[in-house]
Amino acid sequence: MWLSFSLFILILFSLLGLAALLGLSRRTSWLPALLSAVASLMILIAGVEGSGSWRAGAPVGTSILASLSSISLGVDGLSAFFLIILGLIGLCSSIYSLSSFKHGATTYRAAYPLFILSMFLVLIVRSLLWFVIFWELMTLFSQFLIANGREGSRGAALRYFCTTKGAADFMLLSVVVIIWKLSGSPAYSAISSVLPAYMSSHRLTFVLISAGMLTGLGIKATLVPFHFWVPDAYTSAPGEAAALMSGAMEKLPVYMMFRYLLTFSPLSAPLGLAVAVAGTLTLFFGTMFALRQTDSKRLLAYHSVGQMGYIVMALGAGLYLLSRGYTLLGSLALMASLFHSLNHATFKSLLFLTASSVYRRTGLRNLNRLGGLWKVMPLTAVSALIGSLAIAGVPPLNGFVSKWMIYVSTMPSSTVVSLFGALALFISSVTAASFVKYFTTVFVRPPAGELNVSGEVPPWMTVPQWILAALCVFLGVYPYLPLRAISRALGVVGVKAPALSSFPGVVVPRGLGNVAPLTFFVFMVVLTSILLLLVRPVMRLPGWTTGTRVLRETAMRLPAGSYYASFEEDFGEVYGFGAAIRRLGLWIVRCVGGVARAAERCSADMNGMLIGAFVGLLIFVVVLGRGVP
Amino acid sequence: MMPELSTLVNVVFVVLFAPLLDGIERKVKARLQTRQGPPVLQSWYDLIKLLKRPSVEPSGSFGWLFRLAPAVALSSVLLASTFVPSLLARSMGFWGDLIAFVYLLALASLFLALGGFASCNPYAQIGSHREISLLMAEEFSLAFIVAGLAVSAGGLAFSAMFPLPLKASSVVGVLAFAVMVYVSGARVPFDVAEAEPEIVEGPLIEFSGRSLGLMKLTAYVRRLLLFTVLLNFVIPFGGVLRSSVYVAALLVLSAVYAAFEAYFGRFRTADAVRFLKRFAAAGFVCWLLAVLGW
Repeated sequence: MWLSFSLFILILFSLLGLAALLGLSRRTSWLPALLSAVASLMILIAGVEGSGSWRAGAPVGTSILASLSSISLGVDGLSAFFLIILGLIGLCSSIYSLSSFKHGATTYRAAYPLFILSMFLVLIVRSLLWFVIFWELMTLFSQFLIANGREGSRGAALRYFCTTKGAADFMLLSVVVIIWKLSGSPAYSAISSVLPAYMSSHRLTFVLISAGMLTGLGIKATLVPFHFWVPDAYTSAPGEAAALMSGAMEKLPVYMMFRYLLTFSPLSAPLGLAVAVAGTLTLFFGTMFALRQTDSKRLLAYHSVGQMGYIVMALGAGLYLLSRGYTLLGSLALMASLFHSLNHATFKSLLFLTASSVYRRTGLRNLNRLGGLWKVMPLTAVSALIGSLAIAGVPPLNGFVSKWMIYVSTMPSSTVVSLFGALALFISSVTAASFVKYFTTVFVRPPAGELNVSGEVPPWMTVPQWILAALCVFLGVYPYLPLRAISRALGVVGVKAPALSSFPGVVVPRGLGNVAPLTFFVFMVVLTSILLLLVRPVMRLPGWTTGTRVLRETAMRLPAGSYYASFEEDFGEVYGFGAAIRRLGLWIVRCVGGVARAAERCSADMNGMLIGAFVGLLIFVVVLGRGVP
Repeated sequence: MMPELSTLVNVVFVVLFAPLLDGIERKVKARLQTRQGPPVLQSWYDLIKLLKRPSVEPSGSFGWLFRLAPAVALSSVLLASTFVPSLLARSMGFWGDLIAFVYLLALASLFLALGGFASCNPYAQIGSHREISLLMAEEFSLAFIVAGLAVSAGGLAFSAMFPLPLKASSVVGVLAFAVMVYVSGARVPFDVAEAEPEIVEGPLIEFSGRSLGLMKLTAYVRRLLLFTVLLNFVIPFGGVLRSSVYVAALLVLSAVYAAFEAYFGRFRTADAVRFLKRFAAAGFVCWLLAVLGW
């Protein structure tokens, strides 16, 4: 490491702490953003470096409290990969906030650096108990990013906090159970040496702990029955915060899922299948609902749900295939999952930043009213086009390469997983359609009524957009670098990454698939430029409207809501089913509320309360404690 | 022969032969409708005329995207033609596989629609909505077929898929793929995006001269490539025999497809979407058979 790890952490703490303090004052609003950007750059470098460890204190005794007396931090291949994501997204959104911080509330500016810091700690901490603690801190600070004083932001923040708090509690329960079972050590190394063997002989414990862990992580990872907090949260968070949350924070549950599923628990086909099914449902419903949105940030939020579905589906498929003996396909799917995490971070942050730039200039998120912004905001328009094409999976951009890896690893296996791959292929075209809508409604077609736009956003806002757009191209065209980091990450969790030749083209052996994004890029750029020279138009004439006198330019435009009306009508069952799920969710919320109110009434009676708690604990001990020596 | 040279031959063949194939189809359709029909080279004459004329840009249009659209559409189908073996069996097969092929054709459709949007003509926008709606429905059917064929062949690379192993799933898959070739080629019941009598060529309405020529050429090459992949699934041998069988089969296929086209009226968008949604059942059967190992 270029400087000792303890010094590195000290500098990072002081940078971000100072940023948070400065955020409390209103005068130098760009300074906290600058400090956050520097800190993010350091995180990025640490991720690229990929090593280092530091510990303080020593555990005394074996109780849970005693294990809090020591803390061990460290970077390994897996956390390094996610540090790269955090660093990149943190850097870009911090640069973006250089000129936007002054609008935010004080709590917002103070919470932003602390949010980055807590995400960093979540990634480098080496013990499950500390992990949950920093996870809670992260949830707390991200809540301040959502509740920033805009209209309706408090409700969104409350919903977000309650939901994700519940998630953390689920996880805490399973974590405590894990530690309790293992008599004391919450360190990753200790857990991974004991737990897999234990859980493969105790199936019920395995099921319960996995259910707790995966529900807890799944709520943060926006898996479909738990995705309802996403649209409101991302709509009310400012652009750079939404970019940071959807780009970096949503990836942290994926990080823990990799650790939990591959090192803490034994390989199991049913568990892998369950994860893959959850991912498939998420990608299907998330994206199908995104198609219907007419609010720019809601559309992006729903897509963020859908793309997390791709990541989780590939992860589950990888586990399933590995446990069924498809070594090559399984490890390839895990690679694809990690690669898509990185790619989703780049293009979704980019898109959130563009939506935010548009919002700052027009005050509008309504796709029915926006339009024609390519004339006033050409730089934002080009970066939004690149982001839209990347998320749509257009070759040779990065979204294509990772989606291609997902298809190649799932489709040829003769299992049910190949059906998931087929659904992902279909959903990819729905994503493309949805982003045609996003791009054309915001930038291309004429607006409904006059928009009051004051020109392109300042350079500090366009620069991060362009950095991310360049990354979308670079990661796709030259996948060698990310794939090397991914192999390192998979090595940590004990999966041998397949030896792909990744330059100039990615070739999966045994005729599974091959693609050469660099060649595609060169070929397309050269041929397109030649053809562009050929077709240079000679004059501009008014458009032909079959002789109809168009009095207003907008008289003949379809609203954004009816872009794909006939398609949505024909796939109406999907939306009906989604509505049913929503009703079910609301029903569960009502039931839980009822139980809570009943508990509240009972709480007047101290003895009854204690007896109830005792009986509950007894049930837990009996169910979970089977086979404890 | 060197793969580079053979690829060049393939690309030149595709570009030269695709408009010719369209000319043949026009002749066949005319004869079935008891018309004289244009000469077989008519599509080429049209193209040459278009490519000689300069293009005009509508004044309200999103300039660079409008210019970019035909160029990107044509280069993506030409890129696909470099790695799909057509006249000669050797090509740049390691550049792409079936997924890359599907995505490149989708890219061409996407830029056709974006070009329509960029022209800011209301008819073009309606056409573009339809193009994308149809693209989604198409992919819904195609996805299951691709998955079925991938399971059946054990991979998505052309080295594994060309030709497909002789199994029940491959037979069902190839038949279903043949239908998708028909749909994807924007042939008559499914030409809802262009729909001449209704929305006057849809996305293409504002394109003129060279840019229209490029769009037309894209459509021809696209049809030829779809035929080519279909034939590659079934032609089991190489060499001179392959080339001659390939060309003969192309002519037969295009005559058959044109015959179907001559007897249909256009679907409404909703009908086309509904048909494709139901047709996904065929793809699902193919996938089921393949997973069962048949």
